[in-house]
Amino acid sequence: MAYEHKIEVEDLRTWFGDRQILKGISCYFEDNSVTAVMGPSGCGKSTFLRTINRLNDMVPGFRATGSVRFEGNDVLAPDADVYELRRRIGMVFQRPNPFPMSIRDNITYGPKLHGVRDEGELERIVEDSLRKAALWDEVKDTLDSPAPHLSGGQQQRLCIARALSVDPPVLLMDEPVSALDPISASKIEDLIVQLKKDYTIILVTHNVQQAFRVSDQAAFLYMGELVEFDKTRRIAEAPEDPRTEAFITGRIG
Amino acid sequence: MMVRADKTTVDTNTGAEDVGLQYRTNGLLSQLALEVRLAVSTRSKRRAGDLLFKALTATLALVAVLPFFLLLAEVVAVGSAELVGSGIAFLLTNPGPGLHGGIANAIMGTLLLVAVAGGVGIPISIFAAVYITEYTRPGLLRSAVEFAADVLAGIPSIVFGAFGFTFLVGFLGLGMGLVAGGLTLAFMIVPTVLRTTQEALKQVPVSLREASLALGATRWRTTWSVTIRAALPGIVTGVLLAIGRVMGETAPLIFTAGNNLQAPTSVLGPGSWVASMPYTIWAYISDPREYLQVKAHATAVVLIAMVLAVDIAANVLSRRLTRRLV
Repeated sequence: MAYEHKIEVEDLRTWFGDRQILKGISCYFEDNSVTAVMGPSGCGKSTFLRTINRLNDMVPGFRATGSVRFEGNDVLAPDADVYELRRRIGMVFQRPNPFPMSIRDNITYGPKLHGVRDEGELERIVEDSLRKAALWDEVKDTLDSPAPHLSGGQQQRLCIARALSVDPPVLLMDEPVSALDPISASKIEDLIVQLKKDYTIILVTHNVQQAFRVSDQAAFLYMGELVEFDKTRRIAEAPEDPRTEAFITGRIG
Repeated sequence: MMVRADKTTVDTNTGAEDVGLQYRTNGLLSQLALEVRLAVSTRSKRRAGDLLFKALTATLALVAVLPFFLLLAEVVAVGSAELVGSGIAFLLTNPGPGLHGGIANAIMGTLLLVAVAGGVGIPISIFAAVYITEYTRPGLLRSAVEFAADVLAGIPSIVFGAFGFTFLVGFLGLGMGLVAGGLTLAFMIVPTVLRTTQEALKQVPVSLREASLALGATRWRTTWSVTIRAALPGIVTGVLLAIGRVMGETAPLIFTAGNNLQAPTSVLGPGSWVASMPYTIWAYISDPREYLQVKAHATAVVLIAMVLAVDIAANVLSRRLTRRLV
């Protein structure tokens, strides 16, 4: 199917039970760049992100209408291959959540799920993913030690490496630095900027400064509505909607 | 020391002030004398009260743990004669004529019974706990299973014995022996292991499961490779504690396992009748022959050691797993 952008969203509406969360969102995500989805807590930005890889399916009472197209195919279609979808759309969570296993096993978990058995190939994936996540030099001698022993910032970079291990073209990041100390956070921000060369990144954040620092496009979500969506620089310099201005100047949020 | 001194000073002051206010009109000297007397008496009264309470709790603490030491002392005092006299042979030989000889039949029997109980009961409880925790939402079904397990855990073991006799031995026609006895113990393992597994699974953060799903894993793969793994220390502890408990159960076995002076020779039928350590203790101690009383105590020492070993193993293993995983 022909498509212009890897991910295109049209009139997306979602509900948890009777409560409507997203109220008709239409936007797209530029390939090989960072799009920040920002907004105050409870605006629906996490729900939005988790709809893209169908992770909300797990939540009782979740419902979505409209469409999210990934490479032209509707993600929300009942017959969509959700496992392949999630392989191709990686995710990094708010809190580092390494599996209770060794650093190496954390990285090989995904590839093994999808049928990679060759030891040499797995070895290559481990090094490659850890290098991309700027963690290789710190852990290359301790690959077999438990991942939960790493520091918080290292754990989060491991989680990024784990997401990259299955080679997804798209990376969803749900406030990936909000649980980290400033130094670890800035390392990961740098990493995000590095990664956009090869990946399409959607970064959810409530931190305006961070959105401005790392993103190329920005979407401002407020109470389930997409208030503004444009180049980050334009939004930063001249927000069109008063609500956007209120948010970026810190009056709401 | 510092703290106590401070406190005393404060006490004295408060006392002195109160008294001082009331007796302002009295002469300075008598007032002072009164103050000192009252202060001293309040202080000593409080101190005495404190001391009394401390003594009381200490005594009760002693009473609480005393039975354990008395029991251990009694069992070892009586049983050690046999253990020292026969040595390792006591553990390795079957009872001979007149029940002289060792308790190899009982040790082997208990190990076999626990193996059957664990082999059947542990997978059932773990899979049941996984289903309830991972695949059902909180609601009636989950509450019903939890309630049933909690009630089951509180049912006296003799009732399990009666049930095993009626249902397994009689209704299912298994007859007495290793299978009926082992399954009866399995019934007793299930509620404990199910509940501890469930609690351990609940402790695993949702975000770990999500991380696996987000990589394209199926739910069962996520459960198997991530959730159960993360919950393993808790599950192992629950399993070993349950095993340690059923190792010492007599009542469920009286009507279901039979008895045997050697290791069982078949899986079903009369050859599968099996001895166990608690049953042996019970049988020997009800016997008027004095040397059997001694053997009963010696068996008890061995059983206590085995249960203790399982408990320690539970602790060590769970701690080691936790260190490795979390």
